[in-house]
Amino acid sequence: MSNSNGFCLLAQNNSNVDYVRQAYALAVSIHKFNKGQSISLITDDPVLEEYKSVFDNILPIPWTDQAKDTEWKIENRWKVYHVSPYEHTIVMDVDMLVLHDITRWWDELEKKDLFFVSNVKNYRNETVTSRFYRKTFDENNLPNLYSGFYYFKKCDKALEFFKLLELIMINWELFYSTFASNRYQSWGSFDLSCSIASKIFDNVLEITDPTSCITFTHMKAHCQGWNEIPTNWTNVLGTYITTDNTMLIGNYLQHNILHYVEPEFLTDRVIKQLELL
Amino acid sequence: MTTKGILLFAFNNSEIDYVKQAIYCAKKTKEHLKLPVALVTDNMSYLETSYPFYKKYIDIVILVPVEETGQLKTFSDGAYSLRKLPWKNHNRSDCYEMSPFDETIVLDVDYITCNDVLLNCFKIDEEFLIYKNPTDIVSTVRNIDSFDRISDRSIDMWWATGFYFKKSPFMKMYFELVMHIKENWTYYRLIYQIPNVNYRNDFSFSIAIHILRGFQVSSWPSTMPGKMYMSIDVDILDSINGNTLTIIADYKNSADYAGVSVEGLNVHVMNKFSLSRAIDKDKEFAHE
Repeated sequence: MSNSNGFCLLAQNNSNVDYVRQAYALAVSIHKFNKGQSISLITDDPVLEEYKSVFDNILPIPWTDQAKDTEWKIENRWKVYHVSPYEHTIVMDVDMLVLHDITRWWDELEKKDLFFVSNVKNYRNETVTSRFYRKTFDENNLPNLYSGFYYFKKCDKALEFFKLLELIMINWELFYSTFASNRYQSWGSFDLSCSIASKIFDNVLEITDPTSCITFTHMKAHCQGWNEIPTNWTNVLGTYITTDNTMLIGNYLQHNILHYVEPEFLTDRVIKQLELL
Repeated sequence: MTTKGILLFAFNNSEIDYVKQAIYCAKKTKEHLKLPVALVTDNMSYLETSYPFYKKYIDIVILVPVEETGQLKTFSDGAYSLRKLPWKNHNRSDCYEMSPFDETIVLDVDYITCNDVLLNCFKIDEEFLIYKNPTDIVSTVRNIDSFDRISDRSIDMWWATGFYFKKSPFMKMYFELVMHIKENWTYYRLIYQIPNVNYRNDFSFSIAIHILRGFQVSSWPSTMPGKMYMSIDVDILDSINGNTLTIIADYKNSADYAGVSVEGLNVHVMNKFSLSRAIDKDKEFAHE
């Protein structure tokens, strides 16, 4: 493991969700199960004093705020490469929790310039086969990348990737109509933009591995293998955190990384339980 | 030398003669597996008077009082006939204590054995084997996904219809856990999102397996050797001739019926009424 590696979390609150709070919970969970990790928070939002201790750095979002007028706040995500203070960086969506020691993943990731997850699990730890959220990817033959968890090394190849990603994200309509015209997606998304960048560089075999153990549990409802799809999974599954540091969702033990997606999941009680672990 | 045998449970209700089905099940099982059969039941005089020949097939009778639970279960006899009858199938969790054998295959009495594949249970070095993922007799067209899990959002379904166990401290613990789940059924039913209030062995066995697997999918337990074919309760078993079952199957689950004939397969016949009629039609059995 390199001395210069760490996690970067980008958080921009919107009118409904306190993403800084989510980033705090994620950082708490990383520290609980992964000793000695560095974590940088990238945000322009105020950070509560009690949150600050879990971050090594709190960094501003550089240049102009391109997400100023949007609710989803994905427009600045290409900047993380340029802001990261680390030689090796793992970037995670803030609506995630790390539930086990994943430090061994660094050894695998450092062999690559760039790595994206390309298969995800459901809460039963089954590989998600539903293509419900991936129709645009399938119909345009685009790499099946998930940017909820990705890694980059500061290097020329990664720099080129993120330069192109900047172009795609700023001009997403143009790129989507060229590279994802079938079942055209009428909003910009980071997953689709990364996938188009990978398609243009023709580097999918270098930057992902569907058989990799590096993955996460994706809690979007259609990923769960259910016949009846609820509006929110948090309405239909119980969550339990036990005193022996395990989390059960719907009576299933959760592994490695949980992408809980729905902000309702992160109650004050869950945060308190994470802090007490 | 360890003892090996088959254990059956039969508690009649007002309309279904499970004792008759148990004797028939024992007959078919003995024919193919050539193992002693023990029957757990609650009414010795009914057994002796109604089936005086029972000793040909039943080696050991274990008398126990039936647990009167007051539960009713809906039984189908084809797509158009539903009946609510008392459900008295709660003793299965006691099989560890009840079994007179060191190694036991427990079968539902509506499980018709037509081959000897279950003998492989005794050749596999496992303490516990149980059925999972039954094969529909018309599996290519009928969707039985609902049998994969105990409910849509819950855990994998294991079938207490047929299982093997070897007496050991671990298996004792397993059955004690099943007992605990049974005794606290309302709690576990809610926690595991089971809509039906009735206690069901398949569910308590599945929950106990899930708990002992550490609340995750694992390679334990192994499945029973061979396949458990299943004819669901909207199908109608017409006849059993030797090892051939002729079934009028609701092959689209929409009251569209077609004839299906299966030979040499072990079949779980969920329509108890048609099983009873088919047993009565079996000339060999009728002349006992």
